[in-house]
Amino acid sequence: MMLFNLSLKIFLRELRSGYLTSILVSLVLAITIVSGISLFTDRLEKALSAETEEFLGGNLKFESNQNTAKSKIQRQNFQDIDFMEMVLFASVIFSEEDMQLSSVKAVDNAYPLIGELELQNKSGKFLSKESPELGTVWMDARLQNLLNLSYGDKIFLGDSEFIFAATILYEPDRASGNFAFAPKTIMNFEDVDSTNIIQPGSRVEYNYLFKGPEDEIANVRNYLETIKENGDDIEVLNEDSSSLGRTIDRSENFFLLGGLIAVLLSACTIGIASQRFTRRHVSYVAMLKTLGMKTRQIRSMYFLLFVFMTLLTLFFGLILGWTLQSQFINLMSSYFPTELPPPGYYPILITCMTVLICQFGFIYPHITKLITISPMRVLKDDVSFDYGFIPIFLMGLAAFFLLLYLYTNQLTLSLIIFFGVIGFSAIGIGSIYLLLGKNKTGLGASGPILLALSELRRRKFGNSFQIFAFTIAIGLTLITFSASQNLLGSWQTSIPEDSPNNFAINITPQDKENMQSFLQENDIKSKPFFPVTNAIIFKKNELSEDDKIDRNFNITWIEELPEQNDILKGEWFDKSLNNGISVSEDISERYNLEIGDDVFIKVGEEIIKSYVQSTRTVNWDSFSPNFFIIGHPSLFQDISSTYITSFYIPSDKQYLAADLMREFRTVSVFSIEELIEQIKEIIEQVTQALNSILLLTSLSALFLAFSALQDGFSVRKHQSAVLRTLGASNTLIKQSTLFEFTLLGFISGTLGALVAYAGIYFIETRVFETSASFYPEISIMGPLLGIIVVSSLCYYLISGITKQSPKKLLMQ
Amino acid sequence: MILEVNKLRKEVSSGDNKLVILDDVSFNLLEGQSLAITGPSGSGKSTLLGLLAGLDTATSGEIYLNGEALHELDEEQRALLRKEKVGFVFQSFELLPSLTALENVMLPSELKDEDEPEERAKYFLDRVGLKEREHHYPNQLSGGEQQRVAIARAFACSAKILFADEPTGNLDPKNGKMVSDLLFEVNSETDNALVVVTHDHDLADRCDKKINLKLGKIVE
Repeated sequence: MMLFNLSLKIFLRELRSGYLTSILVSLVLAITIVSGISLFTDRLEKALSAETEEFLGGNLKFESNQNTAKSKIQRQNFQDIDFMEMVLFASVIFSEEDMQLSSVKAVDNAYPLIGELELQNKSGKFLSKESPELGTVWMDARLQNLLNLSYGDKIFLGDSEFIFAATILYEPDRASGNFAFAPKTIMNFEDVDSTNIIQPGSRVEYNYLFKGPEDEIANVRNYLETIKENGDDIEVLNEDSSSLGRTIDRSENFFLLGGLIAVLLSACTIGIASQRFTRRHVSYVAMLKTLGMKTRQIRSMYFLLFVFMTLLTLFFGLILGWTLQSQFINLMSSYFPTELPPPGYYPILITCMTVLICQFGFIYPHITKLITISPMRVLKDDVSFDYGFIPIFLMGLAAFFLLLYLYTNQLTLSLIIFFGVIGFSAIGIGSIYLLLGKNKTGLGASGPILLALSELRRRKFGNSFQIFAFTIAIGLTLITFSASQNLLGSWQTSIPEDSPNNFAINITPQDKENMQSFLQENDIKSKPFFPVTNAIIFKKNELSEDDKIDRNFNITWIEELPEQNDILKGEWFDKSLNNGISVSEDISERYNLEIGDDVFIKVGEEIIKSYVQSTRTVNWDSFSPNFFIIGHPSLFQDISSTYITSFYIPSDKQYLAADLMREFRTVSVFSIEELIEQIKEIIEQVTQALNSILLLTSLSALFLAFSALQDGFSVRKHQSAVLRTLGASNTLIKQSTLFEFTLLGFISGTLGALVAYAGIYFIETRVFETSASFYPEISIMGPLLGIIVVSSLCYYLISGITKQSPKKLLMQ
Repeated sequence: MILEVNKLRKEVSSGDNKLVILDDVSFNLLEGQSLAITGPSGSGKSTLLGLLAGLDTATSGEIYLNGEALHELDEEQRALLRKEKVGFVFQSFELLPSLTALENVMLPSELKDEDEPEERAKYFLDRVGLKEREHHYPNQLSGGEQQRVAIARAFACSAKILFADEPTGNLDPKNGKMVSDLLFEVNSETDNALVVVTHDHDLADRCDKKINLKLGKIVE
């Protein structure tokens, strides 16, 4: 109890005196940023997972071209699993006046397995958790308009007639199969037989959706793998490769990066502040030892002090962190119409881990050394205090690395950043030694420049660490700045205003030219018309399970490399007759397809033998038709195909989409305008949220710079007092200090710019997987930032010193 | 007259209260004379020394140092006066830890931008018997040696007046005697005035004049 009281007393005294301010503010800043970001990303991930679940329609989806799977699945009798079947096909639907190709989804009575449908009928909008009644259909608004239907009107599908009962405003399983391109109709599964549409050989897709606990879903997946045939596909959650998913993924990367930077800056500040804390407590510990307190008790007392510090900083940090994440959520509220799910334990875990690593890496080693002080210190001030610099430095580095790993979760990336920062710091310290040369005798106090240079030389060791701190602070601030300006900027401009917002598929060769004329007449710029056909690819060695390719591809054949595709290996098609196919990078990796490998392309009943001529990157965000596999036209001369294209219809000409569909009945046009808008909106909101992180990171950087300077100024205070007593003017002291720190700021800023270049290079190439760019403004901003920030802080600190009388300073 | 003090008063505020540290202090000192300021702890000795040396400002009263009205000068002008006319020896030595003994002694000459500061510093270090320790840092020297370095520094600045605040206060009797001998010996070679704040009666007795302070007033 005595220890507790004493510890509390010391803690409160330190708190009141303001000596703990640097440590506390840095810890609160770190906790605020970490908890704010992790709470936000955790809730975002949960919401996205729920969203993806709805998008998929279940926890797992099995797509098959045959209806044989159902009986097999039912025989397995899976426990705790909800299961539903749906069949998808394309068919022309007739109304009394019109006809239109539609993507039809026939659902059983378990539909929808997840989420609710939003429908509209004569009575208005309503939510439904049921499938359509027998003899009725629901359609989306586009199809309703194209067929000119009112509620209760008859429609004709195959041999049956149905009543149009409701408009689909929202459906949970929007990712339904290959037929989702055309305007949508939903009907009851039991009505399918009466239409007589599905005949042997019809192009139909059977989807089986499953919902249940994770381990049961894993069992289902394992079983489905055993019955899976060529062309079948299994889709599970967390494999969201949509544009939206990638956008959210990238924004999470931005957030975590910002968080990591701010935490590292705070950690450096905590290290510096702890050193100062220790120096101040040397006499105190010596006195306690003299009075008979055991080392163990002193250790416990300081441990308790840690606990108080942790509790206080966690309390304020978590409150501020919660406020921060609420701000982010408010920013993005338009994207999430409903309330986000509550956070899990992870944000608290990562926050506590951060605090623990900061304490054990940056505070505890100092305290451990402090406890070793001899009680003789009470009698003799000059009893040396072995500061044990190397173990403290190593502990700090270990903590630095642990924090890196905690946030990036990638060993290689952590090692790269870790050694990058150390390498640059070593270069910095080395260059300072080389630049400043050997000490000359005397302080050079006859003039400000001589005095400043002499001080730089004389304090090489201390200056090196200040430069280290400034370099990190400036480098990381520049990285954050660049992330918000350049990286986000290039991300934002990656979706130009006139990005294609409509896709047209099923364009027959006969319609191709007419449609091109239609688009030209209406001043609509389109991407090229790509021939497309469905094909199955086989590898020569089908005996090897690993090499087996068992999926359908929509393949195209063209002579020119599509825009935003880059050849990685091999060569693009040339004029020779011996051309093969080009496969995308991910397909090459997934199916182990190397340059020169033989492949067999099965289109209908025809088999085309070819080989892999090149692999290439594909920009899936380009809003152009993209293909995993592109063949040379010479291979597909006799293959019949349809065409696909994309084009931009300005908002004032949206009616053209309906006109186009009326004129070309078999062509399906679907709009991605909403998706583009959604992505643009998210990018904008993420940019705003990131600016808050930038502000906090800059605050941490400023705090670090200030702490590093403040630490050095305690020594200067005494020197300035002695010099002034001996007759040095305030002007001399101010000018020399300013000159010294301007030089220090310039060196730190230059090195900071180099750190930033290295950092940005790795972030661009490793984190965001884009090509590296050079940002010339950083080489100016770095030194400028160094000079302005360091010399301003220095001016503030030195003014505080020169305002006091030298007598007062000497008495301190 | 090197130093003339008239009706000097120093007050400090402590919350709402005003504390009088010095009151109605007047005396003078001729060139080459030495003066001891004595008195119990808290009597205002060090405050008086600080005011005389221009390290602090008085609430009222006049100080003339080498004919200049110190009480009318601002901080920059006082610094200039200190540089040209004043030398110091402190109880806690106040050497700069990052400078060697030689560099500490060179400081005043460097501040004055004098020629060959190193030669001058070496002469005074030799004079205080520390020639062999000129490249040692303060933490490598004993207390007595550090104070001898401080004395060498005080004389190296060619001052008109030397202020010493408890110069033997941190030293054992043997070292204290050595330092005070040195102080008077080197001072006798110049025509400097010497003002010493001390508790040491032997040291005070060696001075030409003595003033005794009690509760901020001269009592004798």
